[in-house]
Amino acid sequence: MTFFKQIAVMLSIFLLIILTTVVALNFISANQSVQDRLYEDAKNTATSLSLSLGTANGDVSMMSTMINANFDSGNYSYISLVDVDNKVLYERKNESVQLNVPQWFLSAITITAPIASANVSAGWKQVGILNVQSDVSYAYTQLYSILMNLLVSFGILAIIGLILLNIILAAALKPLKKVQLQAEAVTRNEFIIQDKIPTTKEFRDVVLGMNTMVSKVKAMFDKGNAELKRQKELEYTDPTTKLRNRKYLIDKLPEYLKIDATSKGGVDMMMSISGVIEANETIGHQKVDKLFIEIAKIFKVYASNYENSIVARMNGTEFSILLPDCTDHDALELAYGICDSADKAIDNAGLDTDITFMSIGLYEYNYKQTIGQLLSLCDNALTQAKFNKSHIHLDKAETATEVMGKDAWRNIINQTLDSNGFCFTLWTAVDVKTEKIDHDVISITMQAMDGTIYSYGQFMASAHQVGLSSKIYQNVINMMFMLPDMRLQGKTCALRLSYEYLTEPNTYIELSQLFQSYALKLPFKLIIEMPDKLVHQNSEQVKLYRKLFETYNIEMGIFEFIGENIDYQYLQDLRPVYIKAEADYFISQSDQAIASLRLITDTVGISLVATSVMDMVTLNKLKEKDIHIIQGPAAETIKIH
Amino acid sequence: MGNLITFLLLLMLFTTNITAQEPYVDKELTKKIVKKYNIFAERRFSYLQKTLDSVKNGSDFEKLDAVNRFYNDVRYASDMKVYGKKDYWATPWEFLGKDMGDCEDYVISKYFALRYLGIDSKKLFFTYVKSTKFKAAHMVLTYFKTPRSEPLILDNNNRKIFPASQRKDLIPIYNFNGESLYRVSGKGTGKKIKNKRSHKKWDQLKLNMKRKKI
Repeated sequence: MTFFKQIAVMLSIFLLIILTTVVALNFISANQSVQDRLYEDAKNTATSLSLSLGTANGDVSMMSTMINANFDSGNYSYISLVDVDNKVLYERKNESVQLNVPQWFLSAITITAPIASANVSAGWKQVGILNVQSDVSYAYTQLYSILMNLLVSFGILAIIGLILLNIILAAALKPLKKVQLQAEAVTRNEFIIQDKIPTTKEFRDVVLGMNTMVSKVKAMFDKGNAELKRQKELEYTDPTTKLRNRKYLIDKLPEYLKIDATSKGGVDMMMSISGVIEANETIGHQKVDKLFIEIAKIFKVYASNYENSIVARMNGTEFSILLPDCTDHDALELAYGICDSADKAIDNAGLDTDITFMSIGLYEYNYKQTIGQLLSLCDNALTQAKFNKSHIHLDKAETATEVMGKDAWRNIINQTLDSNGFCFTLWTAVDVKTEKIDHDVISITMQAMDGTIYSYGQFMASAHQVGLSSKIYQNVINMMFMLPDMRLQGKTCALRLSYEYLTEPNTYIELSQLFQSYALKLPFKLIIEMPDKLVHQNSEQVKLYRKLFETYNIEMGIFEFIGENIDYQYLQDLRPVYIKAEADYFISQSDQAIASLRLITDTVGISLVATSVMDMVTLNKLKEKDIHIIQGPAAETIKIH
Repeated sequence: MGNLITFLLLLMLFTTNITAQEPYVDKELTKKIVKKYNIFAERRFSYLQKTLDSVKNGSDFEKLDAVNRFYNDVRYASDMKVYGKKDYWATPWEFLGKDMGDCEDYVISKYFALRYLGIDSKKLFFTYVKSTKFKAAHMVLTYFKTPRSEPLILDNNNRKIFPASQRKDLIPIYNFNGESLYRVSGKGTGKKIKNKRSHKKWDQLKLNMKRKKI
């Protein structure tokens, strides 16, 4: 029960007790007053009637008549006249009393009508004593009416009182509500500073304290953010040309060389500028650096037509342009264009283009190649280019013969979609420190109509190629929510969704409808992993996803994190439960970079998870970097407690 | 010898009775009266005590006569003059302390003095009368030997006590007895009635008496 409710209940009870007491006291007072009135009436009648009876000079018949006249008015239940010897001279009694009030009232309330007496004399002679008792029926009716009026008026008063109490309490405890929201925000690792400082001292102190605490945590986050940004700038940027460097390219390449990569291949150009030593001697270092800046601009301009292209300076004289989805023909055109522009720049710098010139090795790659292969083959192409007259050379990857053609894959996938042949297998992400499962990772397998089982790696690349990957995700997500696997009950499971699927126009609406109908019935805790490539944009779309997940108590994870030199504010805004990156990425990071990343993630409660941890050697390296949650073959060998 | 012992025992019992009788005005109250009024007030109260003591063992009539004579020596004065009120019922201590009062004050003081002397309250009545002589409302104390007997009138305008039949100058209007009149009861209800006021003036007087108002 909230503090507000406790106070409200307490004060309401207090108010009701007060009102009930006031009603009771009022009623008791009214009861007393009515009874007093009964006595006063009886007494006045006794006095006045005894004076009248005195004039009868002891004539009993006359006195009886006088008594009758009074009694028949109906206001008395008993009148008697007794003589000095206590003998009853005359008596009237009202036997049947009709009371116009409910029986419960009669049972609950006893009204006593006292008997008032007065001496009756005839001249100096004593006649006797007159006794008068008032009728209680009128008193009962009056008292019942008073009680009803009291209950109605106090009922109204109670309602008004409770409403006012509620309003006053709500106003008085408004700062507390804000304090609570702020405290909840802190629990969620959100940084809310309360601008309106409450006037109530206790609340003011708490708010000021929390503001200070939140400011400090925010400052820590900002410091980590700035530090990581600086680290990444140093780590991933060439200081002279402001291009990306070799490390960036290597960290980024896994995104391009994977089975479910957006691009299935392209061309990587490796450019080398010869005669730099001579150039330095001719025009000096500074002018050569300016030349490199000019050439960098040329690269950027030519690469800008290709989405997701990467321009990087590999070393002092070598550059690389990765052009996803670029054909060899287009790449050659581009290479010639770059060569011409570079020659002009070299010429403009006052250098001899026969001595200082650019060679371009082009290598047409595909997603199945490793980073090492790609770079090595590019180098080969560049070496060839240097010996070419045109200084341009193109090499191609040996295209593996596909077991099945695109049409065959399309048919198999469509059939499997129709027959609901997709199912889940689980991998574990293990916390090696506690030796406990951090979460399970859901992977998709495909069972074709002929019974052949294809793993994610086997079918997803082809599914991408034939444009059915989003459909597969849609199918498996529907299956997960509509027919949840009860083996997962009580577990925490992560499902990775691809950039393509998440950016499809209908995905958000479909997920919303699905969550609305089924999310609350899900027997396990779900983490939806989104690619860093999408999340770091912190776009409206991403925010919508975050809000949608939050509504249905679904956590958000980030995968393929490489932490480019952008603002890490999005981590604070979106508060993913973890960040997943390749084990090699973490290992290759400097201690400062990891420390800065840690500062950010620890501040907002984000775990770091290393993926593709293949062996214990890698695991040990990760431990040295203080990364303890792992995923991959090595995780499966950890003994779980 | 046995007769002597019986005599001594009776004497002791008698003596004890005499000494056990509380004075009409106790010492403490007397001190307060002296402080408020003067030494003459003390003498008046002392004389009152002597008067009462003198008739302690007398007949009812002796008691009535002594009390009537004693109080009729007090000067008559209106309530407005003495208390600044139109109508005020003074306690016997106020009345004798101030040594003046109106007809109700005489009746009250006589009533309580006679009650002190052991006269049954049922025999004593405050009687509202009309004085034909003064053509004014008046109050006297009446004594009924029996409920049916002719009452004796103790009037401040007349030093002597007369039977009612001899007081042609008085027309009786209304009798009341503070102790028995307005007997309040919850007869027939089975409940006892508390704190019911019987007569406003009488109730206030009783309260003042209880508080020993002087």
